[in-house]
Amino acid sequence: MRALALLVATALLGCGGPSMDPEVASASAASRADYDVFALRCSKCHSLARPLNSGIDDDGYWRTYVAKMRRQPGSGISAQDSVAILRFLHQYSIEQRRRKGKPVDSPALTAPSPAPSETGGS
Amino acid sequence: MSSRGLLLAIVIVAVMALVAHRPALAFDEERNFAGSAQLDYDFVPSEPGAVAAPGPATTFQGFTLESALKVAVDISDHLSANVKACYGCHGFELDMAYFDLRAADELNLRVGRFSPSFGAFNLRHDPANHMTSDKPLPYDMGRMLRKGDWYNGVLPSPFPTNGAELNGTHWIGDVAQLDYAGYVVMGFKNDTDPNPTDFNLQESHLPYYVTSDPRPAAGSRIALTLKAGDKSDMTLGGSGMFGTYDPNNRLTYAIVGGDLSLRVGRTAVRMEYLVRRQQMDTSNPDIFKYAIAPVGGDLFAKHGAYVEVEQPLTNALDVLARGDGMYRVGNVSNAVVGSGSDAPGYSPLSYESWVARETLALAFSVERNFRFKGSVELWEFSYADMAGREAELSFHLGAVGSF
Repeated sequence: MRALALLVATALLGCGGPSMDPEVASASAASRADYDVFALRCSKCHSLARPLNSGIDDDGYWRTYVAKMRRQPGSGISAQDSVAILRFLHQYSIEQRRRKGKPVDSPALTAPSPAPSETGGS
Repeated sequence: MSSRGLLLAIVIVAVMALVAHRPALAFDEERNFAGSAQLDYDFVPSEPGAVAAPGPATTFQGFTLESALKVAVDISDHLSANVKACYGCHGFELDMAYFDLRAADELNLRVGRFSPSFGAFNLRHDPANHMTSDKPLPYDMGRMLRKGDWYNGVLPSPFPTNGAELNGTHWIGDVAQLDYAGYVVMGFKNDTDPNPTDFNLQESHLPYYVTSDPRPAAGSRIALTLKAGDKSDMTLGGSGMFGTYDPNNRLTYAIVGGDLSLRVGRTAVRMEYLVRRQQMDTSNPDIFKYAIAPVGGDLFAKHGAYVEVEQPLTNALDVLARGDGMYRVGNVSNAVVGSGSDAPGYSPLSYESWVARETLALAFSVERNFRFKGSVELWEFSYADMAGREAELSFHLGAVGSF
């Protein structure tokens, strides 16, 4: 019972239980700023778990999907936002690849940039 | 489950499995396999099943499950497909089965089976994408108390139907996003009741993918999103849908709605208003509760609205406060809508009736993809149930996971 109370208390205080984004906690200020954009925009329609636990670690795939999400009605993801989101996902993919023991110098991890169609609508 | 439903379920699962596990093709086809499941327990201390009006006016108490599997395939830069199968109160249902053919961000053709663009909530209708166990009352699909009295919300969500939609989005600089959609779809139907007075939602949401009714419903939506800064945006939208629902194409329905949502940081404020104005077949006055008025006696209007505020308290805990309700004005049919029930026709609604609900909800994430939901709801009705109660409480405790 005491353990349950402790679990609830720490969760309510936000200092225990499930830290949602441990990878971000130790990131640089610039990465955290990118994460903030990602968290703000992507949580508008769905939980952040959808992208973060998708297992995707390929920049090309992310470009396609961020462009797709940007086209969703009311997404609020501007071209500028998509660059920051892709930068965060690029760093996140590198972390994921390291954890899986996959090479991080893969062609799948290229410099983040929006898909051509993303900027076309601005 | 009927043999037709079982067959459909097997076909859907087989197709989704084949699509999800097909070897990658040469042109880097992208696939995304996602899903969610929510188990919810609804506790209603007043035992509405024992005191509600006879007939289908009961409440889904106890456990209910909503689950969905979705495959999204980007076939090329301009062509994508989505298939989503759901299992819930109606059994198996194909929520999505459509292709998007996109010429530009501003011009996309969607064909197949989908929920046409209407309102703001439908984008979040999956239980993994909202913090409460149930939906706002205007979009309720059977989870409300005294559901049979009200026959669900104004526009029960989701509302998959067959048809085609043109939609698109256009960014004006980095500060404004303009969305539009226009569609022709099969729409809501009732071709089973001899004197239709409302949609047959059982029929519309069960595997019923063909119709002998050639006349489609039509609708449109337009929305403008403005970004006031890096951490805030506001979306203002308007939607409308019009069609006929009887086999003779005489009985019309029109649904219009407006929505406004604000985001400031991670705080979200959302509000929507919908109204459905619908004609009824009054050729048999005996099925109605009141004498048929000579003017306007063949229609009713059902209004619905909600306002909610969602606030993350910590990384793991979100709180949501919601007020919603519905107001119905018009004659009341005492016939059971949708046939298939032997229950005696009887409605406790009067010419003007309303229901209001206040909800306080918490959602706690134990993992990124798994959260518990709890809420308490205070219900107030304009009419008493058979025990004389005009107010009731309900409690939800649920768990939802997604991948």
